[in-house]
Amino acid sequence: MAYSDKVLDHYNNPRNVGALDKRDPNVGTGMVGAPECGDVMKLQLRVDPGTGIIEDARFKTFGCGSAIASSSLATEWLKGKTLDQALTIKNTDIVNELSLPPVKIHCSVLAEDAIRAAIADYQKKNTAVAGQPVAQTV
Amino acid sequence: MQPENCWHCGHSPEASLFCRFCNTLQRPVPDYYRFLGLERKLHLDPDDLQQRFYRMSRLLHPDRYHRRTPTERQYSLEATAILNDAYRVLRDPVARAEYVLKELGFQIGEQRSKDVPPELLEEVFDLNMALEELREGDASVRPQLEEARKKFLNLQGEIDGRLEELYRRHDATGDRAALTEIRTILNRRRYVQNLVREVEKELV
Repeated sequence: MAYSDKVLDHYNNPRNVGALDKRDPNVGTGMVGAPECGDVMKLQLRVDPGTGIIEDARFKTFGCGSAIASSSLATEWLKGKTLDQALTIKNTDIVNELSLPPVKIHCSVLAEDAIRAAIADYQKKNTAVAGQPVAQTV
Repeated sequence: MQPENCWHCGHSPEASLFCRFCNTLQRPVPDYYRFLGLERKLHLDPDDLQQRFYRMSRLLHPDRYHRRTPTERQYSLEATAILNDAYRVLRDPVARAEYVLKELGFQIGEQRSKDVPPELLEEVFDLNMALEELREGDASVRPQLEEARKKFLNLQGEIDGRLEELYRRHDATGDRAALTEIRTILNRRRYVQNLVREVEKELV
């Protein structure tokens, strides 16, 4: 199967590969996987606490070219967005941008799941922190 | 599927490949266990399975049907193809369990990450990271790669042992919780299998 030029570009020059400190309260981490192909994808974002805007995003994916390209593209799109805007990114947007064939659609689903998992992790961390003083008064 | 009456003599059917009245080959239904005359057990004896496969191969072989009607010739071709698939799937304990799970309504192909335990993802991610570091090293990391392969193969062996235990538990009790656990372990196995493949790529 031939990959599209955009997939090859992201595969050969992946953007934002790496890791952020997952203990940082401003960092959300999403770890997702697709058992049918054995892929695993970690996607992280750091939110500027002042503006609520995603200032950095990183990924590391073990999987096929399409899975790597999908997560690379996702990190590019995340930067500069608010969390609400980030949640509007759909796997179909990734499919269209990368011209993924039907057998590779699950790679884009994985990237969407990773974005959602990272945001959920960030929100969980931050509501937990906000709830702390309340818990202490009990 | 609703069984059809015998296409040849019109008698109402029994669940069998051959009509029990006129002994004519029936339209084959792709039920792998039925093809091999087996109960739906997850644990199967490989020798018994092979004997059954040989016996059925002889019975269904297209050569036996070349003087028969076009319908029978066609059915024998179809049945032989299904029989070969059945043997390929049932003799492999992993493919067999996936087949049974799928038939019982478990999603196998299109799972989302929520079906995968987070600890497993963490573990697989870390193993992949370690493997990647080794790969980037020079020839001196070869012993470590050999070590990693041994570790992954051991993991695979443990997984297979656990699967076999669960197969027997499920066969004895019909326990659906065992099936759920089997599915989780099959996912884990696929990840470990990928790691074995990746490390072996480096060792050739």
